[in-house]
Amino acid sequence: MSTITSRNSLVNGGTNRYEFVAGATIALSALLFALGMTALFEFVTLTDPIAGVPTVSVLGGLLVLIGIGVIGLGVSSSLELIETTPDRSAGLVAGVVFGGLWFGIGGIVAAGILGLGGAGWILPALLLGGGAFAVTTFTREDIGSTVPAGVLAILAGGVFLTGVLGPGWSYSPGSFPSDNAVTFFPSVIVPGSVLFCSLLVGWASAKAYAGFGARGRHLGAHVLIYLNALGIIAVLFGLVGFVVIKGAPTAFTEVAIGPGVGPEVSVLGLSFSLPVSWPFLMNGASVFVRVDGILPAVVGTVWLVVGAVLFAVPIAVGAAVFLAEYADEGRFTSVVEVATNGLWSTPSIVFGLFGASFLIPRFGGSKSLIAGMLTLGFMLLPLVLITSREAMLAVPDEYRDASAALGVSKWQTIRSVVLPAALPGVVTGIILGVGRIAGETAPILVTMAGGTLPAGGETVDVIGGFEFIATPPFVTNEALLQASSALPYQLYALITAGLGGPQFEDAPFTALEFAWANAFVLLTVVLSFYAIGITTRYYFRRKLNR
Amino acid sequence: MSEPSPTTETTESESTDTNDPTSTRTAATASMSGTSTTTGESEEELREEWTDYQFAGETHVAAENLDVHYGDDHALKDISIDIPSESVTALIGPSGCGKSTFLRCINRMNDRIRAAEVDGSVEVDGVEIYQDGVDLVELRKRVGMVFQQPNPFPKSIRDNVSYGPRKHGDIRTGLIDRLLGRGESDAELELVERALKRAALYDEVSDRLGDNALGLSGGQQQRLCIARALATDPDVLLMDEPASALDPIATSKIEDLITDLSEEYTVVIVTHNMQQAARISDQTAVFLTGGHLVEYDDTDKIFENPESQRVEDYISGRFG
Repeated sequence: MSTITSRNSLVNGGTNRYEFVAGATIALSALLFALGMTALFEFVTLTDPIAGVPTVSVLGGLLVLIGIGVIGLGVSSSLELIETTPDRSAGLVAGVVFGGLWFGIGGIVAAGILGLGGAGWILPALLLGGGAFAVTTFTREDIGSTVPAGVLAILAGGVFLTGVLGPGWSYSPGSFPSDNAVTFFPSVIVPGSVLFCSLLVGWASAKAYAGFGARGRHLGAHVLIYLNALGIIAVLFGLVGFVVIKGAPTAFTEVAIGPGVGPEVSVLGLSFSLPVSWPFLMNGASVFVRVDGILPAVVGTVWLVVGAVLFAVPIAVGAAVFLAEYADEGRFTSVVEVATNGLWSTPSIVFGLFGASFLIPRFGGSKSLIAGMLTLGFMLLPLVLITSREAMLAVPDEYRDASAALGVSKWQTIRSVVLPAALPGVVTGIILGVGRIAGETAPILVTMAGGTLPAGGETVDVIGGFEFIATPPFVTNEALLQASSALPYQLYALITAGLGGPQFEDAPFTALEFAWANAFVLLTVVLSFYAIGITTRYYFRRKLNR
Repeated sequence: MSEPSPTTETTESESTDTNDPTSTRTAATASMSGTSTTTGESEEELREEWTDYQFAGETHVAAENLDVHYGDDHALKDISIDIPSESVTALIGPSGCGKSTFLRCINRMNDRIRAAEVDGSVEVDGVEIYQDGVDLVELRKRVGMVFQQPNPFPKSIRDNVSYGPRKHGDIRTGLIDRLLGRGESDAELELVERALKRAALYDEVSDRLGDNALGLSGGQQQRLCIARALATDPDVLLMDEPASALDPIATSKIEDLITDLSEEYTVVIVTHNMQQAARISDQTAVFLTGGHLVEYDDTDKIFENPESQRVEDYISGRFG
């Protein structure tokens, strides 16, 4: 009886030089990946020297190094200098990926550097692509998965090292019309190709480290996934860090802490000075203050979110209780489900137009805070409804049975067992929804927003705005009917007004810095809402579990 | 919890045991047809005197000509049974024979299943519970229930036990009551303590009544569920395989507890474990395929000398 399965030794030997080289290549790839990320977000500039050598040369040198390393691994495995378990081929997927990659490189080099016009680029592209595909697919796995990746890394590194692609270089694909040509600069191309090559080489050297075969594929996928996750986290932190670096210095202009330095406030008739002075957050924008600030926009955004949540969450949770506990699963519930999903994906400007044409005429005929609150509330409704319903359906039926068997009515069961158990899910929905609505610009633009740079006196005072009167409806609130600013809208207004020069009389910052600080505060406000939501959810989860 | 399976068809599909001589003998004398049976189960007519159980005490729960349909499926067929008070009555039988369905008729939990339709009569304390105007809250306060899977609420141990009385307004712990000086947290604590002691759990949890009940072990959770059912001060305690999800030690604790409880409560227990039924019950009712009550008598009589051949086959493990 012949067998088609092969047998390898059960235990693979300890560390040797081969494994050391493979491990070093993986580590260098990861390092290069991180360097590429920092270069992409301009934390290091390509012309800056690292230890006396220009960054671009460092990157190029490292690329060549890992390229040589991975090819060496593949070759030594293929010459059977070390014991590995490669498959007969690296596989069709790798072949197609490498083939396509080299096809593109061939085309770009032929058209861009050799200057072959017309269809002249196709032949070199086909040759290179086909070659790479053949090498990957028709040779043994150890050669097929290392050589194309290694050669690519050496090529890219060589280009950076020799200065063919120096800091002054740029590339405009000729196929675009000249008046809106697309131009790539080294600041993007170099980090981009470094990221890409380090991913490929990391994958290939991980395969080599585990001796190819099934173990190799496993480790290769592992490295790829980890580097990918690292990239996503890097993008997130890069984005936040970018805004913080650009905006924070301006936002913290002339902050002072000490008794009596802050503006005077009166609480319950008692007047005292705050111990913190934070001009950017505590001033409006006007000629009477030295440091212009964004107080009206901050207060406007906070009230906007609070109002929208107070309006939407009770309705949404009530509807979710009906759908999950009382309505029969059937056509009606599925129609509601489709409708809510559709509502959630409706563009926000459509909600804005609804607010402008339906709500504004009913609330005094002019843009107002309450129109904005209700519009954003309508946007929040569907998501909270969907997530609350899912959370309630996920509450085990055991709880309902147990409660019913104790003779407790359905409504009381929902109130004391189902809702508490579903609360973390409900809060998740609110978090996601608030994250969306707090940064919405379009609906605010048409329903709520007032002046571009409101002065401190235009800050809405919702709590102080309540007045009691003798006739129905017994309570009025002028503040809710005022137009107000909000952070995203103010940012939009600043950008449309132009960020060219210093627009603030004797302020210590320019309009551009002011806008960055505005963005920083918006990000902080949204993240604070997140933090509140996540803390709440954590609290309820803890209560349920321990 | 899974609803009692409405299928009464042949669920076990093992090969027919043709070597069993009793099978062929009884099949030859079978006079009843039209009943689908579990594989290996012989056919046999039902006799009224097999279920006609005479006992000394009072009748606490009485079912008469009880039929239950789940849609087109006839799950319980003409069940008449009198359950004596302050004793343990075991309901045994193969899967899908209607034991759980019968149990759920006694506290009208079948009302929660839309497709279920109950005909006939069940009396608790001599009062017909399938008539108009029956207060389900009051009925379920009197007839407590414990489920197969321990299902404590994700609340503290104390809140779990006092849940029923609080929701029924028997104990007032709300904010307004506390502000008005009518709060009864002492009464609540006393009730919790009493119920937990009754369920033989108090010693194990007395120092952590505020902890979440989900942190208890499976056996403790099940005893907590019993305490929770006892807190509403029931007369009848229905148990649907209360120990089937537990390990042997936790099971034996539950069994001891059931024996204790039967001095005060009427316990009706569904079990798949025939040794358990033999150990703890005073009388046993055997339900067999098709939703029939086949035999009902003293537990000793059922296990040592059953009248019905099918019951003997079932108890001795020839089918089911």
